[in-house]
Amino acid sequence: MTTAPYGATAQAGAPVRVRLPLRRPERGRWFAGVATGLAAHLDLPVGLVRVVLVALVPVAGVGLALYVFWWLTVPVGDPAVAAASGRPSALQRLARRQALRADGRRIPWAELALGALLVVTAGVLVAMRSGARLDAPWALPVLVVLVGVALAWSQLDAVQHGRADGRRISVLRLIGGGLLAAAGVLLIAGQAVGQGVEPMLLVQSGVAALAVLLGVGLVMAPWWVRLVRELGDERAARAREAERADIAAHLHDSVLQTLALIRARADDPADVARMARAQERELREWLYDDRHEPGTSLVGALRAVVAEVEDSRSGPGGEPVAVDVVVVGDRVPEPDTLALLQATREALVNAVVHGRPPVSLYLEVGPQSVEVFVRDRGEGFDLDDVGPDRFGVRESIMGRVRRRGGTARVTSSPERGTEVHLCMPVGGGGSGRGPDEDEEREA
Amino acid sequence: MNEPVDVVLVDDHHMFRAGVKASLDARVRVVGEAATVDEAVQVVHDLRPPVVVLDVHLPGGDGGGGAEVVRRCVDVPGTRFLALSVSDAAEDVVAVIRVGARGYVTKAIDATALSDAVLRVAGGDAVFSPRLAGFVLDAFGAAAGDVATGDDELDRLSAREREVMRLIARGYTYREVAGELFISVKTVETHVSAVLRKLQLSNRNELTRWAAARRLL
Repeated sequence: MTTAPYGATAQAGAPVRVRLPLRRPERGRWFAGVATGLAAHLDLPVGLVRVVLVALVPVAGVGLALYVFWWLTVPVGDPAVAAASGRPSALQRLARRQALRADGRRIPWAELALGALLVVTAGVLVAMRSGARLDAPWALPVLVVLVGVALAWSQLDAVQHGRADGRRISVLRLIGGGLLAAAGVLLIAGQAVGQGVEPMLLVQSGVAALAVLLGVGLVMAPWWVRLVRELGDERAARAREAERADIAAHLHDSVLQTLALIRARADDPADVARMARAQERELREWLYDDRHEPGTSLVGALRAVVAEVEDSRSGPGGEPVAVDVVVVGDRVPEPDTLALLQATREALVNAVVHGRPPVSLYLEVGPQSVEVFVRDRGEGFDLDDVGPDRFGVRESIMGRVRRRGGTARVTSSPERGTEVHLCMPVGGGGSGRGPDEDEEREA
Repeated sequence: MNEPVDVVLVDDHHMFRAGVKASLDARVRVVGEAATVDEAVQVVHDLRPPVVVLDVHLPGGDGGGGAEVVRRCVDVPGTRFLALSVSDAAEDVVAVIRVGARGYVTKAIDATALSDAVLRVAGGDAVFSPRLAGFVLDAFGAAAGDVATGDDELDRLSAREREVMRLIARGYTYREVAGELFISVKTVETHVSAVLRKLQLSNRNELTRWAAARRLL
């Protein structure tokens, strides 16, 4: 069931791990979501990431620099969403995803801080007008420039939900930031010019012009960055849409053919039921599951085995039998698990052909072993009564698993039906097997 | 036999509602129906039924489907939700359980089993299909042998709860689980309810991670 993760390395035999891509999530952030995003990406506690970042601030401001760097370069978004959309769309489920649970509105600290700063600036400006003298003449203009730049850059943070609305706000931010920056630059220049002498004027105006250009460049850069990013996103979305349309066409085609077949064979209920079941399975897989790349998932291989048995085998009365599949965990297939799958197939065939429905299949992938339970509600049989010549149970199920160091056990009773339990140890990272497993092998 | 249990049926497919209505037995009485999120919220507030059988995928509202209905009906005490879905994908199921549904069954369920499930939910118990038990084991990392030692731990299953979940995942009914573990059916129901509570309340890191892999949170 575990979806093949985005960016995970698929080593043979390794349990499937998930690494979320680096995004700045909206939920749970304190400021710009850098720490939250890093924590999700590295699978560390958020608190630890925050502590490390803060601890790095006194070290020549590395913490702050890193924070600002990630703030500017990491796009906003839910890491889980990004992980999901990072999968090839041909493998994604078609049904619409459930809307995420809306969180309570977060307090917009960044905006509040910016507003307070602007109010303070305005207050200081008014105070200067009315004659108050400031000791640090450079402080105010620099502050104004900084605020303007911050305002303009803050549009990087704008979430791109309402497209038209977002555009308008970002333009407003750009204009406001630009005006502030220009005012700051003029103030700086004016101060410099006010006390300067004639020959200095040229140099100073040159410096002023340069400063203006720099300011404008700084202000425009994020807009450009965002435009480029949006363009890329849109292109990718278009490609995805086209791919999805192809898949939908394929699905409709397959449903149509099945319906035609069903109509042609309407007098054979067993056949009709089987075709309906096969089609149901296929549709369910396409609509509601993320599919696996072939050869990367034990669960995917198991589902293929189940589909084959459902399609090709019938119950004692010739009726098709549906298998109820439950899986826990997943891993990349290897030779041992392949043998386990083949044994599982034989057990399934036995349950479908000789047992009685419902037939249940349970697969559990643990760190040290893979376990399979196949159960039916038939009359059951006594294993000792089955002659050694009956190749089915002894050789193809139990022998196959035991030869590879696994265990196999069949319990059977008239009231409870038959259950086949297969267990195959797997070398998850080369660690040894548990002590109790060796005992169990004798069972 | 007692009074039949009143049920509101919420599903956007008219044919499916008609089919369920016709197949439910005498122990259950359908008193209302709804086809969208907003209709469902309205009907539940008007009728205050003991049980609502709820499709996970519903149009209308804010697009939150069945989970949104459960969220918007928290102010109706005494109403319990049984989720019903054609999809058996983890994200659909767990999303609706996490907001408070008392159980989950697939639409492939037969009529008697559905009536049983409704009664069980009406009685305050949880309804676990094998599939849901599988999700729980997966989400709580129980396959890796991560098992709680204390009773009040929310983030891990106890050894007994894990055993019960594994048997349910293997297709055992509550009665068969009780027989296998030499405990009473009532005790099985207690364990299952405890697991449901953990699934709803746990903030387990692993759970969010697992959920993230399936994109639900």
